[in-house]
Amino acid sequence: MITWPNFVSQCFNGLALGALLALISSGLTIIYGTLGVLNLAHGAMFMLGGYAGYVAFEATGSFAIAVAAGSLFLAVVGVLMERVVIRYFYSRPHEDQILVTFGIGICLVELVRLAFGSLSKTVPPPSWAAGISSLGFMFYPTYRLVVVGIIAVALLGLFLVLYRTRLGLIVRAGIEDSAMVDALGIDVDRVFMIVFGIGAMAAGFAGIVNAPVVSLTPDMGDAILVQTFVVVVIGGVGSFTGAILGGLISGEILSLTSMVDPSYSGVMLFAVMTLVLMLRPQGLLGTRGRT
Amino acid sequence: MTGRRLIGRRPLLVEGLTALGLVAAPFVLPPLGFAPDTVNQAVVWGLFGIGFDLLFGYTGLLSFGQSAFYGTGGFVAAYLLTKAIVSSVILGLVIGMIAAAATGYLVGLIALRRTGIYFAMITVAIAETFFFLENSPLSAWTGGENGIPGVPAPSFDLFGLHYRVGTGWSMYGFLAICYFIGIVVALRIVRSPVGAILRAIRENPSRAAAVGHSVHGYKLTAFIIAAAYAGLAGGLLGVLQAFMPPEAFTFDTSGQLVMQTVIGGSGTLFGPLFGALVWLSLRDFLQAALNLGAAWKLALGLIFVLLVCFLRRGLIGAVHDAVGLFAGRWQTGTPETASVPTPAPTSPMATVGPSRRPDETPFSGPVIEARGITKSFGGLVANRDINFSVNQGELRGVIGPNGAGKSTFFKMLTCELPPTSGHIIFHGRDITGMDITGVCHLGLTKSYQINQLFNRLTVGENVVIAALAERRGRFSLDFLRRIERVPGLATQVESTLSLVGLAARRDVPVAELAYGEKRRLEIGLALASSPSLLLLDEPLAGMSPRERAETVSLLKNIRRGRTLVVVDHDMDAIFELAERITVLHEGAVLAEGTPAEIQRNSLVQEAYLGGVAA
Amino acid sequence: MKSFDRISPSRRRVLTAAGALVASASLPRFSIAAEDRPPIGTWPAGSEGSSVFIGISVPRTGTYAAQGEDELKGYQLAVEHINSGDPLIKAISPKTKTGVLGKKVEVGVADSQANPNTAVQEQSRFITENKAVLITGSTSSAVAVALNKLAQREKVLYVTGITGSNDTTGKDCVRYSFRQDFYGQTAAAAIGPVLIKTFGKSRKAAFMTPDYTYGHTVTKSVNDYLTENGGWTMVTNQVSPLGAPDFSSYLTNIANSGAEILINVNWGHDAVLSTQQAKQFGILPKMKLVIPYQTPFLAKEVGAETTEGVYAATDFWWTLEDKYPLAKMFVEKFQKKYGYRPEWGAENAYMQFAMWADAVEHAGSFYPPDVIKSYEAGRKIPSFVGEVYWRAADHQLVRPVVIVRGKAPKAMRNPEDFWEITEVLPGAPLMQAPDAFGCQLGSYT
Repeated sequence: MITWPNFVSQCFNGLALGALLALISSGLTIIYGTLGVLNLAHGAMFMLGGYAGYVAFEATGSFAIAVAAGSLFLAVVGVLMERVVIRYFYSRPHEDQILVTFGIGICLVELVRLAFGSLSKTVPPPSWAAGISSLGFMFYPTYRLVVVGIIAVALLGLFLVLYRTRLGLIVRAGIEDSAMVDALGIDVDRVFMIVFGIGAMAAGFAGIVNAPVVSLTPDMGDAILVQTFVVVVIGGVGSFTGAILGGLISGEILSLTSMVDPSYSGVMLFAVMTLVLMLRPQGLLGTRGRT
Repeated sequence: MTGRRLIGRRPLLVEGLTALGLVAAPFVLPPLGFAPDTVNQAVVWGLFGIGFDLLFGYTGLLSFGQSAFYGTGGFVAAYLLTKAIVSSVILGLVIGMIAAAATGYLVGLIALRRTGIYFAMITVAIAETFFFLENSPLSAWTGGENGIPGVPAPSFDLFGLHYRVGTGWSMYGFLAICYFIGIVVALRIVRSPVGAILRAIRENPSRAAAVGHSVHGYKLTAFIIAAAYAGLAGGLLGVLQAFMPPEAFTFDTSGQLVMQTVIGGSGTLFGPLFGALVWLSLRDFLQAALNLGAAWKLALGLIFVLLVCFLRRGLIGAVHDAVGLFAGRWQTGTPETASVPTPAPTSPMATVGPSRRPDETPFSGPVIEARGITKSFGGLVANRDINFSVNQGELRGVIGPNGAGKSTFFKMLTCELPPTSGHIIFHGRDITGMDITGVCHLGLTKSYQINQLFNRLTVGENVVIAALAERRGRFSLDFLRRIERVPGLATQVESTLSLVGLAARRDVPVAELAYGEKRRLEIGLALASSPSLLLLDEPLAGMSPRERAETVSLLKNIRRGRTLVVVDHDMDAIFELAERITVLHEGAVLAEGTPAEIQRNSLVQEAYLGGVAA
Repeated sequence: MKSFDRISPSRRRVLTAAGALVASASLPRFSIAAEDRPPIGTWPAGSEGSSVFIGISVPRTGTYAAQGEDELKGYQLAVEHINSGDPLIKAISPKTKTGVLGKKVEVGVADSQANPNTAVQEQSRFITENKAVLITGSTSSAVAVALNKLAQREKVLYVTGITGSNDTTGKDCVRYSFRQDFYGQTAAAAIGPVLIKTFGKSRKAAFMTPDYTYGHTVTKSVNDYLTENGGWTMVTNQVSPLGAPDFSSYLTNIANSGAEILINVNWGHDAVLSTQQAKQFGILPKMKLVIPYQTPFLAKEVGAETTEGVYAATDFWWTLEDKYPLAKMFVEKFQKKYGYRPEWGAENAYMQFAMWADAVEHAGSFYPPDVIKSYEAGRKIPSFVGEVYWRAADHQLVRPVVIVRGKAPKAMRNPEDFWEITEVLPGAPLMQAPDAFGCQLGSYT
């Protein structure tokens, strides 16, 4: 199946796939980078964002409101989760944090199953983005093109927050040296809450933006979570730019491998991850200090 | 802490109770509503979990990839047995176990390159990869999603009688024997020097490396052992069900193992078995009796989250604590690995003789020498062209204002940081570029500015960890040897404890020590590996006047027969103790000389005054 | 759901045993030649009381939860009908009065999570603890094959749920298991001629195959047929893992492959997602979509505008009620109870229980070898798709395969009127020779 048009198409498709992975991974990595917590409930949050958006869409029929609802709901869920559970885990070992978020993830999935059943739900794209567009070399779903744009804007927004605001300065300082942030007398407590909220919001936003591309099921976050891990390991844990680079690389690997042998695309992703680990254990854009 | 002694004196108590429990189970459990099949499943999970608990509960490595080895062992055994390549079930199980261990070795080489969350994420990816391999490219051997049916049950010829293991309690007998062997081996491991070191790695991997243990080597060992247990359990799963199920390989299996272990109690060895019993019976109970349907998983998820939040040590830990409150200490599966029988108390100020290292006596000349070492971080130069040399038996003080580069300098001397340029010579040997574990074994070690202790271990256990490195080298696989049988260990631990004045506190957990005691233990850890050169990084920092006086006299005691380099801000102490003093300023050597010379040195006065003024 | 009191199984067992003791002491031996029959499986313990127990394991969490819940509804409706002696059951199993041989049917339900291992565990428990006389449930062949082996080992009857693999009544067939539904071979043989007839010869087809045995088997069966009989070519075969989160790269390959027809072998949510995304990519309706093995609720989930014109092979579709009176009764009763029209997962479940009741009533006993022989007698059984009968040699029901075509949204008479029946193909000609897939049933005892 390796033909020139197909190659170009797959490169482009990899970009679109990678953009989504980048967005989800960046939420995961911001939370980890600042709080030092690996959030295993991130996949479930992605799913929850989709369902929250679905509910809003069913109620209002407006996709814009659905996106807002999905993101805001998850920001609230994130803040609640941080206040009620996560903040008591900062002083506990990483392993405890992983365990508790793993458990919360399972609870979220099963709660959604209880509320919505197991039949999949769909959110249609906004009418102006329905249908397909010609890119010259291929036809591509218009909405997926829009998603690439939306994600680019969202990532740019995150970038601005991280690199152009005081909050961002603190977050990045926290990634470099959390002890220093403490020493500076910053209200870390509040910053952590906000960061967890932002990370959760990024997952929720990705969930609802992605909802018209897929159909929602309670388990949908699981497969994404594993891919997100690979993205983060390739890009470098805690690195925002690493998450974006890792996402794009992973998207391309998945797409391009499928031209040669579609059944091996998943395994190729893991093979590349292994390669990165052997050659550059801290990830492509990770710093050596973090383990 | 009579409990510890109890275990020490009656080492087979836990084994005996386990045997008793396993024998009693078929009589006790059915009236409680446990079907034999549920119990058998739990035993397989329990055996699977022993390995995981050694990895997670003891070594602190949280792996979500155990399904890879469970599946590998299971499918290798099932394939060999169903294709009649191997006729003995036991042999098939053993080969499966070895295959899983070998896989564990290869996977460990990659996964253990990182720790903490990286490690957890990598293991998730590994689990996914193995499931794919089993399901797709290897489906000709594994049966793909159908698994391998027809795995035979074992049969034995004993005393001329032929016995074939059936289902139900008959199968239980076989599984219980396997579990018992598994527990006995695991208990041996946790009571061995290796077990003690694994717990030290869990508590503080960098200090474990600094006192001379090959952390990577032991982690890999734990990983392989865990894989072997998983492989054996996987094989038994096939035997139990006469069918090797494909989802042995799925990520969910790993997740369930993690949850069961945490529910039962990690770091207890028996936690996974109890967790599995609870999990399996609750799953049935919630569905059948409470009619929860699909919500059973939500209920179990909530239970899990609550346990992680409030009962970190799981059900066994909770029972242990409750009984402990009620009737003193009670021992289940928390064997006290690093306990050493206490010999009769010796005089509190007993001195440890000079280091027993054979290779140091013939050498004369400087013990350590730094030749033009420079360290820069990016554009920032922390140390510039430092030349430094310390003679045999000397006590050298290193001082300097804040930011003079003392810590960086110390880190380079102990090979924690490689210098950007220059060389470090120890006993005439160039040690530049060696790792901290290696130099520890050459007789060079350091005590830390900020305490680096093994916090959940006792004082005695802390010292044991450090002494073990000197006794056994950086890596040794004596995991079936009882720690008490390590020659000379007890004496060395005892004398180190006496030297730092903590002999009476040996069974106290580190967390309960006063600050001054922790500082002394910090020095004790460095001392226990019998260094010929000991670097002390601010040993007096943060001490009360009384603690300070005690520690100064301790340092005077220690220095007999040793070479010491001490960094401290406490000028009075340094001028009292040191024979020569090196002053660092702005990353370079400003002056060097006797205390009297330094006191007179105008450059030094200026630097300090300037430093203060700034 | 008939919940079964499991809190005190021991008490229950004591009571049962006591009852049996009293019965054997006071009454003359009634059963025929009981002395010749050593206990087998859960017989006679499982049928000595006033009720019999059926173990049901269906996925209620995980990938196939939607299909599992649907199956469960079919089972529960059937049990209700059996216990009350509903006319529908009596139409299928004429000897039924109430219950089975007068005994009330009780069920235990367990979540298999679509895992063979969990299913085997749960059913083992139902067998040992509840003395189940029948076990059932599966939404994938992996579970069915695993339970086949369990049934044969434990000598307890097993009627399969959804299972499409040829192996279930092929190389992994067992004496104690029976399959009602259609499978890879019959699906391929049924849909092949329809495709050639509809789309003509020498067409180019793209396949989407889930990466496990079921998927590869169905793809091969369909492709072999089309290649040999229609001169079709497979221009690409996109093999994807189970539970793939996105199909865009596979679909991009298909879009560039020059195929005219897309044959989607994916099942469950994979089928829903891949079909939906094929639509998004404009592959549908540019290419014609064919689904050789239909997933229940597919049309409901992806929407009628996507399934319009799609050809699919299935076990049952509710509009068969126009043709078969029993189907009409079933659809009405099901809809009344659950508020929607049944799909084929529920139909398969209902029929399996009904035909088991029929087999037991004809055998006159729960003694498993007798029940099996009753199945193997090859009686004609009225069903929702006309008369059917069991093939003794491989325990596969000889039953029609239904070919449906997706209706245009505006042609739908009600919100569930997604498909129109194009053909109901008799089963026998579609089936392979009983031994062609290596079936050896094994022993009765």
